[in-house]
Amino acid sequence: MGKYIMIIDDSPTIRISVEFAIKNMGYDIQQAENGVDALEKIKTIISKGNEISLCISDINMPQMDGITFIKEFRKTDKFTPVIILTTESEDNKINQGKEAGASGWIIKPFQPAELVNVVKKFLK
Amino acid sequence: MIKSESSKFGKPLYILYPGDYFASKDDCIIGTITGTCIVICLYDPQRGIGGMGHFIVPGSIGTSGIISDEIASSGVTSIEYLLGEIVKLGGDRRFLRAKVFGAGYLNSGKAEEIKLSDSNIRFINEYFLIENISVERSDLGGDFRRRIYFSVKDGVIYRQILQNNEESSEFIKLEQEYVDIQFRNKKKSGRIILFE
Repeated sequence: MGKYIMIIDDSPTIRISVEFAIKNMGYDIQQAENGVDALEKIKTIISKGNEISLCISDINMPQMDGITFIKEFRKTDKFTPVIILTTESEDNKINQGKEAGASGWIIKPFQPAELVNVVKKFLK
Repeated sequence: MIKSESSKFGKPLYILYPGDYFASKDDCIIGTITGTCIVICLYDPQRGIGGMGHFIVPGSIGTSGIISDEIASSGVTSIEYLLGEIVKLGGDRRFLRAKVFGAGYLNSGKAEEIKLSDSNIRFINEYFLIENISVERSDLGGDFRRRIYFSVKDGVIYRQILQNNEESSEFIKLEQEYVDIQFRNKKKSGRIILFE
């Protein structure tokens, strides 16, 4: 059974940067362009008997933003950590994320080592 | 940023200061002046949404490229702020087109300034290549400043080369202050909040 980390961001630069940072942590990695794309890919991964261990998601994305993604994801999965990685820093937005079920909030720019430390904390 | 309702364009005019970004879906003009900084204009012609960002990548990017470079990360984030605003207005980066200006070297072509200019040009070229965003106009480098006006609805650019520093003395001072701050904070990262 494979254990997956999902990277959800409409920017290829960010997706590749995040994958580069966490690629040696021993997990399979799946990228998605937005919330809709992520939910479809998560469904496929689980249907093949694999597991989602953690999601790292942006907020501002077309089709489905990060807050809506978390709300949809939490309908079937209450426990898998979801870390938000975004430029959004307003308390109101951060509270929306927390209420939707986010586990953590990282404001860009991020240093790869710091991201790895946060991911490790949630994968313990 | 300041807004003027009665500009020579007959539309609202937003003037960006160094480090500013702004996006709109209204029929307006966004303007700025740049010397060493990069100015990017992004617009979604199908939806009539566009925006401008004014920023600098504070230093030289390593040979590994922008993906794993800490200094480049600052430039990526500057563009992300602008893209986030465009997406919030209903834009989609898959349909965006870009026009880029600036990254000049202004102090008699000192070696470190030319190196900084080259690094910023490399950054912007690599970034839009990875993002698969079409760059329709690239006007980068050179030992002069540029005044840029960008029409959000149709992506039209009005560009002027500035040879006389007196015309832009306020911008020169503000740009230098902004660049100095960015260099001091070039490896700074954002806040981390854990909810559980």
